[in-house]
Amino acid sequence: MSTIITDDEFKHIAHLSRLTLLPEDGFIIDQLSQAAEYSSVLNELDTANVSPTFQVNHKQNVLREDVILPSLPQSVALSQAAKTSNGYFVTKATIKK
Amino acid sequence: MNLNQLNLVEARQGLISKQFSSKELVQSCLDQIKKNEASLNSFVTVSEKEALSQAEKADLSKPLGGIPIAVKDNFLTQNIKTTASAKVLDNYLPQYNSTVVQKLVDAGAIIIGKTNMDAWAHGSSTETSDYGSTKNPWNINHLPGGSSGGSAAAISADEAIVSVGSETAGSIRQPASWCGVVGLKPTYGRVSRYGVIAMKSSTDSPGPITKNVEDAATLLEIISGSDPHDATSMDESSWKKPSTLPNLKNIKLGLPLSYFPKEIQPEVKAAILGAVEVFKKLGAEIIELPDILDPKYSIAVYTILQRSEVSSNLARFDGVRYGHDRTFFGQEAKRRIMLGTYSLSSGYYDAYYTKAQKVRTLICQDFDRQFQKVDAIIQPVSPTTALKIGATVGQSMFGELQDMFVEPSSIAGLSGISLPCGFDNNNLPIGLGITCAQKREDLVYQLAKIFEDNTDYHTKKPQL
Repeated sequence: MSTIITDDEFKHIAHLSRLTLLPEDGFIIDQLSQAAEYSSVLNELDTANVSPTFQVNHKQNVLREDVILPSLPQSVALSQAAKTSNGYFVTKATIKK
Repeated sequence: MNLNQLNLVEARQGLISKQFSSKELVQSCLDQIKKNEASLNSFVTVSEKEALSQAEKADLSKPLGGIPIAVKDNFLTQNIKTTASAKVLDNYLPQYNSTVVQKLVDAGAIIIGKTNMDAWAHGSSTETSDYGSTKNPWNINHLPGGSSGGSAAAISADEAIVSVGSETAGSIRQPASWCGVVGLKPTYGRVSRYGVIAMKSSTDSPGPITKNVEDAATLLEIISGSDPHDATSMDESSWKKPSTLPNLKNIKLGLPLSYFPKEIQPEVKAAILGAVEVFKKLGAEIIELPDILDPKYSIAVYTILQRSEVSSNLARFDGVRYGHDRTFFGQEAKRRIMLGTYSLSSGYYDAYYTKAQKVRTLICQDFDRQFQKVDAIIQPVSPTTALKIGATVGQSMFGELQDMFVEPSSIAGLSGISLPCGFDNNNLPIGLGITCAQKREDLVYQLAKIFEDNTDYHTKKPQL
């Protein structure tokens, strides 16, 4: 597995991450490669017949009764938003006109 | 002795017997904060007005009635600014309390302030805080550790009576070790994560940082318990500390040989082996664990899984519902989001993320094997004592290396503690790690209490 991250991959990862990187963030590319390189130590361990552990206390399908519980009043829920309109959060448009 | 120097047991006794009032106790902590904050920077926010107002009406019948507590700044506190030491949340006033904070408030505690931390809890130094590093009260040219460095420094400097922090790899135990205080890391799921700004959700574990073992156990009793708001919280109700201590003649303690690599600071190794002697003299059987998995694998597993979960958890910060937009992220957060996105992306997912989760299984199985041989593991918490300010510069895996001995237990969701067990040649504290299986906080508490009762390291205070 190659652990050298190319400039194009780097830009693509930044796009997927919704991050705008600045010129001074350029050092991150080398550190990504270093971390990926360090991770190759895991290949010393045979995991061919090992299942992954995503969660350590193994609780599954945690559900509750489908009843409405008290929640924040709308005005309070909106109180920290930079922009609101008619009782809604204002987001960037996701569909072009 | 000033009131702020009291531990929880002493402060409660003083309040109940009316030797002093909650207002006097709170004021004493506020005075200590004012005196030392310019040099220590333990707090992001000090809630002086609210704390004094609450002290006026303190209900002493409650278990923490009138007690000033310092809360790490990643716990949501209703109407008290909560930033996780990140400028993205510089303007955020939470509309509700995290479960832990609600339990503390219900128990009568008074929040004196929000403590500094590595931004988003990304680190083991507090040096990545967007509000400047906290300094170690034992020597302000040194780091307090992290990410709960502000809570550990605040307790070490007697700026509060008790505090809470959170641990994902070593973020309670490592700063407790570096600041000479007690840090208890509960079993994953013992304490609710609801309202704690998520970092690595599959290991995030809130817990106490205190002046002694008894106070840590008392705090854990209050903040633990099942929470319908956290689907990974345990089904059990609040944890209760045992009322007796065991005879150590019936206890087997494991010494993990791979946790003493040649890079470990000699004084740290000597202090841990000294602690082993204390337990041995009290009758415990010491069993070497020659085949415990090398912690180097946990460093790699943690690095991949932490970044992966961070890239997902930090995706919600878009400045729409609260806080600022994503241009406010600092370099450390950007770096971690980028690596996480990479390891989760198409073509790399199996090679990194799935591989790490499989090795996590091996780490869990390894601990299961070790705990068939021993009741608890005695170990160093960090390979060094507190490093100097600036030590993290250019070190992309600083935190992983400083937490390397406690990372495996966090990855497996175990219970553990760090408590003072010595000092290095520069009078910087050393922490002893005691690690037990999941849900064995009873034994963690008992062993730590026995060690503390037979030593005096916890009574030493930094000269401020």
